[in-house]
Amino acid sequence: MTSSSRRVLPGFGLSLGYALVYLSLLVLIPLGGLVLKASTLTFAEFWRIATTEQAIASYRVSFGASFAAAAINAVFGTLVAWVLVRYPFPGKRLVDAFVDLPFALPTAVAGITLATLYAGNGWIGRHLEPLGVKIAYTPYGIVVALAFITLPFIVRTLQPVIEDIEPEIEEAAASLGASRWQTFAKVLFPAIFPALLTGFTLAFSRALGEFGSVIFIAGNLPMVSEITPLLIIAKLEQQDVVGATALAVVMLAISFVLLLTINALQWWAASRHKGRTA
Amino acid sequence: MNARRANAEPRWVRLTLTAVALGFLALFLGLPLVAVFVEALAAGVPAYLSALADPETQHAVLLSLVIALVVLPFNVLFGVAAAWAIARFDFRGKSLLTTLIDLPFAVSPVVAGMLFILLFGARGWFGPWLSEHDFRIIFAVPGMILATLFITFPFVARELIPLMQAQGREEEEAAVSLGASGWQMFRRVTLPNIKWGLLYGVILANARALGEFGAVSVVSGHIRGETNTLPLHVEILYNEYNAVGAFAAASVLALLALVTLVAKTIVEWRMQKETAMLQADLPPEAVRSEA
Amino acid sequence: MSITIQNITKRFGNFVALDGIDLEIPTGELVALLGPSGCGKTTLLRIIAGMETADGGEVLFSGQEATHLHARDRNVGFVFQHYALFRHMTVFENVAFGLRVKPRKERPGNAEIRKRVMDLLALVQLDWLADRYPSQLSGGQRQRIALARALAVEPKVLLLDEPFGALDTKVRKELRRWLRRLHDEMHISSVFVTHDQEEALEVADRVVVMNHGRIEQIGSPDEVYSNPASPFVYQFLGNVNVFRSRVHGAWAEVGRGESAGDGETLAFVRPHEIDIEHAPVANGLEAQVQDVHPIGPVVRVELAHASELIEVELTRERADGLGLAKGQHVWLRPRQVKVFAAPEAAAYPLEEGGSGI
Repeated sequence: MTSSSRRVLPGFGLSLGYALVYLSLLVLIPLGGLVLKASTLTFAEFWRIATTEQAIASYRVSFGASFAAAAINAVFGTLVAWVLVRYPFPGKRLVDAFVDLPFALPTAVAGITLATLYAGNGWIGRHLEPLGVKIAYTPYGIVVALAFITLPFIVRTLQPVIEDIEPEIEEAAASLGASRWQTFAKVLFPAIFPALLTGFTLAFSRALGEFGSVIFIAGNLPMVSEITPLLIIAKLEQQDVVGATALAVVMLAISFVLLLTINALQWWAASRHKGRTA
Repeated sequence: MNARRANAEPRWVRLTLTAVALGFLALFLGLPLVAVFVEALAAGVPAYLSALADPETQHAVLLSLVIALVVLPFNVLFGVAAAWAIARFDFRGKSLLTTLIDLPFAVSPVVAGMLFILLFGARGWFGPWLSEHDFRIIFAVPGMILATLFITFPFVARELIPLMQAQGREEEEAAVSLGASGWQMFRRVTLPNIKWGLLYGVILANARALGEFGAVSVVSGHIRGETNTLPLHVEILYNEYNAVGAFAAASVLALLALVTLVAKTIVEWRMQKETAMLQADLPPEAVRSEA
Repeated sequence: MSITIQNITKRFGNFVALDGIDLEIPTGELVALLGPSGCGKTTLLRIIAGMETADGGEVLFSGQEATHLHARDRNVGFVFQHYALFRHMTVFENVAFGLRVKPRKERPGNAEIRKRVMDLLALVQLDWLADRYPSQLSGGQRQRIALARALAVEPKVLLLDEPFGALDTKVRKELRRWLRRLHDEMHISSVFVTHDQEEALEVADRVVVMNHGRIEQIGSPDEVYSNPASPFVYQFLGNVNVFRSRVHGAWAEVGRGESAGDGETLAFVRPHEIDIEHAPVANGLEAQVQDVHPIGPVVRVELAHASELIEVELTRERADGLGLAKGQHVWLRPRQVKVFAAPEAAAYPLEEGGSGI
């Protein structure tokens, strides 16, 4: 469709113009500033800063913890979504609303609370310490905080998809002789898998950038439990803007890749769905 | 009862799964929420109240509210404008624009805050010019507002775009063909149709604006009584081992989060009721059946 | 008000929606734009309404240039396919909308608005629904409210996009008779779009048959049905048997000079325009009865001539008189045949033919 069509409705120029100006001022110009700053570095310099031992260690912590958190939620988030859609229990609507708590609760509040709970003398840490399990101020603490923050992503991505599964599909599988477990493994799980992957990527992407909830519980030991965003802040505080820029470029590049992945996944899920129903 | 439906798990499976899911939620989400209030009241109600009465805490509350109040109108305007352009017109680069709107969800808040340091910081692109004119953005409230704007601008747009796409253009076209001006069409037809979605987006954006930590932290400079929002103040108190103070401030934020959840849920139920009621009235996805 | 359309062209990307449309709609007529989906009929209607801009050509209202007039200023009543009722307004407010958004000095007072809206609701026989919301109405009721809303601004032209498309058969039949009566009372120039030939033939004064962005034929319902100008029109308006020249050779005479000259030709005969005889007849075509289906008042007979399948529709009396049985050999005699040159006709695959009356 050409851009000259459909102008009977008013406000196209105004609304698009406003949106573009707003986005340019708030997003494109700042991003341009970052790119410009980064371009003052030669690639060799950039590479040296982006791959220092400390930086590599921080990527490892960030990626590892984010992956672990997303994986935990892939299991428990799927379970929660399944139970919320399929099984009746009293207070279900309240529980359903409560799942969004991590979206609504400021991350700093989550951070200090989780740190307190999982510390050696905290309500949970107290019971884990004798077993030799330390959560707070270790990389495991980061995983806990990230899992807390990202739980709703997976639940909320899966819920509508599980709701959309027609009962006939399961009835058909059952009538063809599949056991309940076979039906789940061969019929239901493949149906929700694209959404699970999307939710996983959303959660992973959010976890990578998360800062507020992590710093309180992480202990922030360089090389051990220091996440990349914290390393960026440390560099900024040392007035090492160039170093911070290089790391920010790395994170931004990863963000873009994840954003594209999410778009591709959603497109894939949508086109699969269309193919099924059409 | 078990054999009632082909697609129902045995009762013990259902009970176990429900118990595990609810147990997980209670331990993982419920316990932290309870802990906030228990820790805040650990030294008794008077200590809690005096912690809240602390002038710096009160200033932080005020600053958080001011930032949210400044940011929200911009987000509403942007959300409505972007949704109107995207849901009502076809133009080149539309999908790019849609992707761009998602960007803040993918970018780390720390990186977001840093973008503004690079622009407006003492050694940033516009830093010298700003210091010449004696205007501070970084380590001052304007920078915190910018960072919060960056983090929160997608919320309203993201709610409105799918909503308006589902509603289709026909009602607005009908209004125009009946002689309505642009403003009359917007006020009498568009706005009533999107009001719940708009409110929903505002609630989410507001929660994020009040609670944002990473981006604001980078640009605030943590000047007590000046550039401390409530979440930043929580951090300061916590690092000073003032647990009661930190959790008292945190409890205010947790209460706001609960209010957000309640408001959000009410709006969701309203929207569900309305869509259920209007289901029959919604035109199919394709507004035109041909061409 | 009359509408003149001159050489209107519209493309969507590479798709040509309208390819040089010329059309004259005289004052007070009820015109149907008829064609399969994708033929451009809705696009043409939207261009008349000003909802779509043509790439080329002109629209004139009463001889006045209106091509670039905004939809708001055309004084056109538009009834949308899915009604587009304002979902958050009552029926009363929906109908009153066009009056309430008038500039202040033209706007009638509240009492006047009330009176006019209630009059219109009475006209569409739904005054008892004034306080309901659109979601509480049936499809037929919504359709009538949409019409009342369009009429409230006293348009000079009424445009209806598939007005009965979303309704079930019974309601559709009632509503189209009602629309016909309404039009006879109001005599407002009206154009409606439909893909249903029965609807077009029953309701319209004139039928404009469209295909692939072009007009195939303009004429009264009787003209387009009895004297189709092209193979497409023939097939779109009702069932038809198509015979290749080797088959219809015997029937050429019936076609009487309609033959499009040399080369291969195709003959078109409607099922109810064929008689069945037991005895050989002049210009008859021998065929074997394959199946006999009584369908209500008519009997549909399927016959085979060589490898061709022929469909014949008889009245029940005639069929009873003939006493047809499977496998019987009979003679077919057409009452009317129309012949078109084959290449022209071949452009339209038979599947596109109408669904039968």
